[in-house]
Amino acid sequence: MMIAQAAVPRDIGVLEWLFDSTSWTGTDGILSSLGDTVILCAIVVVIATITMVPLASWLAHTRRGEVSVSWLVTLSRAIPTFAVAGLLVPISLRSGWGFEPWPIFIALLLLALPPIFLNTYTAIQQVDPGAVDAARAMGYSETEVLFRVELALATSVILAGVRVAAVTVVATEPIRAFLGGDGLGRYVRDGLGQNNDGLVIAGAMLIAGLAGLTALSFRSVERFALPDGVRRLATSATR
Amino acid sequence: MIPLLAQAANPIVRWEYFIDEWDQIRRALVEHLELTVYAVALGLIVSAGLAAIALRYRWMVTPINGFTAFLYTIPSVALFGILVPYFGLSRLSAVLPLAAYTLLILVTNIVAGFNSVSPEVREAADGMGMTPARRVFQVELPLAMPYIIAGLRIAVVSTVGLVTVAAIIGQGGLGRLILDGLRRTFWTPMTIGSSLSILLALALDGLILLGGRWLTPWAQRGRGVL
Repeated sequence: MMIAQAAVPRDIGVLEWLFDSTSWTGTDGILSSLGDTVILCAIVVVIATITMVPLASWLAHTRRGEVSVSWLVTLSRAIPTFAVAGLLVPISLRSGWGFEPWPIFIALLLLALPPIFLNTYTAIQQVDPGAVDAARAMGYSETEVLFRVELALATSVILAGVRVAAVTVVATEPIRAFLGGDGLGRYVRDGLGQNNDGLVIAGAMLIAGLAGLTALSFRSVERFALPDGVRRLATSATR
Repeated sequence: MIPLLAQAANPIVRWEYFIDEWDQIRRALVEHLELTVYAVALGLIVSAGLAAIALRYRWMVTPINGFTAFLYTIPSVALFGILVPYFGLSRLSAVLPLAAYTLLILVTNIVAGFNSVSPEVREAADGMGMTPARRVFQVELPLAMPYIIAGLRIAVVSTVGLVTVAAIIGQGGLGRLILDGLRRTFWTPMTIGSSLSILLALALDGLILLGGRWLTPWAQRGRGVL
């Protein structure tokens, strides 16, 4: 396993390193590690969203799969991502898919699916039956009921599920650096390896900062993506 | 990257490893269990205190919930890493973050449990002349127990999973087998470490479930009648 170690002088200050433009640029720079992390996380969250939102809305609309939901609540907080990824590394290598990024990708995907599924399912299930019946009485087809009533009213809760998934994925992705990859976790890994406390702290700050930024940007999207009426109706349900 | 010959000699699990390296596996398992127990115990003590404050002073519910939710969103690699300069590659650096992650679920469930006790029951206990302390421990706590057990199950299962990540700071029980295997590109310890940590989570979950049934027999009795 060949991993280029981040070359950081041991005696440099944390803030000095973070505010030095040369530590951000170049192939080993923070920006390129940040890019690795963001791209992987974005792919994971997008795939989780485009699979789980249709599946969960269909199941909830047709009132199927009640049992799976309570089971998922426990499961979603119990997935040992590090162990799952660790288990997948040998399998991936033996199947010829290489060290990276398949194991971490699948482990993160498993982490992202439950919150999106859960929020979509419960949000659609909890849509006021009166609104659904009124739409049917007005002659809406089942598809129109789903898209124009149920999904419209459920949007904010679904977005909250996507946010929870995104923040969890961003917060977990740094273990990739310890499983043969790179990404934003590399600075903590290299700092620990070189006994360089400053680098560990700087790396931890970058990771925590990205997770916080993800939460914040999703919250502002949630705020702007909604029509006023729905926003007023749905604020109480947001997690 | 790895020659074909090495691939053949490096199966996903080499069963002899269980016998040859049993000592190492056992040590990792025990360490994993210890870290889990310390972290959840510490989390439970802190949560009990925070829940008591939240139950006593209603306005504290939001700040306490916000604080524990904030702790929960801190990436584990970052939290383990940030403590290393202060506590070194020690057990404390592993236990503190692990305990911090349990607070959200434990506080939420303890508060929900005590809130589920109906005011009539509380009044009846007072009417029988119970002191507040006796009422809390002999009436309210047992009635809140199903919620607390439910929270404990999730806390323990997720802690078992997170302990493996503590391997990055030289702790981490079974997680160390995973990292060790990765460093040597030797799959057996990786597979064993990963599978055992998943099995350990399931086993502890079942154990707490049974313990909860034993502690709250009345919660099951009703189900039998229906």
